[in-house]
Amino acid sequence: MSGDIFEITREPIDKPGLEKRLLTGAAGAVVTFDGVVRDNTKGRRVVSLQYEAYEPMAVKEMRRIGAEIRGRWPDVERIGVIHRFGPLEISESSVVIVITSPHRRVAFEACRYAIDRLKQTVPIWKKEIFEDGEEWVEGQAPEVSQ
Amino acid sequence: MSGNAIKINVLLFGALREVAGAGELSCDLTAPADVAGAWNEVKTRFPNLEKFERSALFAINEEHARKEEPLKDGDTLAVFPPVSGG
Repeated sequence: MSGDIFEITREPIDKPGLEKRLLTGAAGAVVTFDGVVRDNTKGRRVVSLQYEAYEPMAVKEMRRIGAEIRGRWPDVERIGVIHRFGPLEISESSVVIVITSPHRRVAFEACRYAIDRLKQTVPIWKKEIFEDGEEWVEGQAPEVSQ
Repeated sequence: MSGNAIKINVLLFGALREVAGAGELSCDLTAPADVAGAWNEVKTRFPNLEKFERSALFAINEEHARKEEPLKDGDTLAVFPPVSGG
């Protein structure tokens, strides 16, 4: 839908800017999910993360998730998803999702759905850089859903 | 090659790209071709990729695809591990 935003970027994500771009007068709720880089995994100290994306397909899959959300929650006003790739430091945002809607319930539900689906279908991969090595994060193998 | 030869573009991502030491290659196949056949050809070229046999996922022209889906001349086949974005 026009007004929605789906982007892949190498630059730091401008979260307030994204919220501002999506805010319309009809919205009464803005729910934002901000995924940030954690400094540990299974007891191991993480130094940084490296994200890789299949860019054109990632944007297509994000748009598909947007369409799914509109099918499930017709009241959603605007959808914004920006995923970053390249090297990321601890506490930097890797993904920001913003949903606006007239009332809060729909925005909460749609935002949760968006991040859950993104982790299943959007072709992006991350590698954890440890003090003593590095390792690709194993995604869960999903059933192909078309 | 006979008149049935087709050429596809193959993209590798994440751990597959790293293990193969290549992110992009072109692949000559004989029609009728499918994803499974192309994947076998890629593994012949990069035997180290065999360890991704069970986990590898595929996309044809930027759409998720199953192993039995057909390929035609000029298609782009992407092969990648289960996604881990977010």
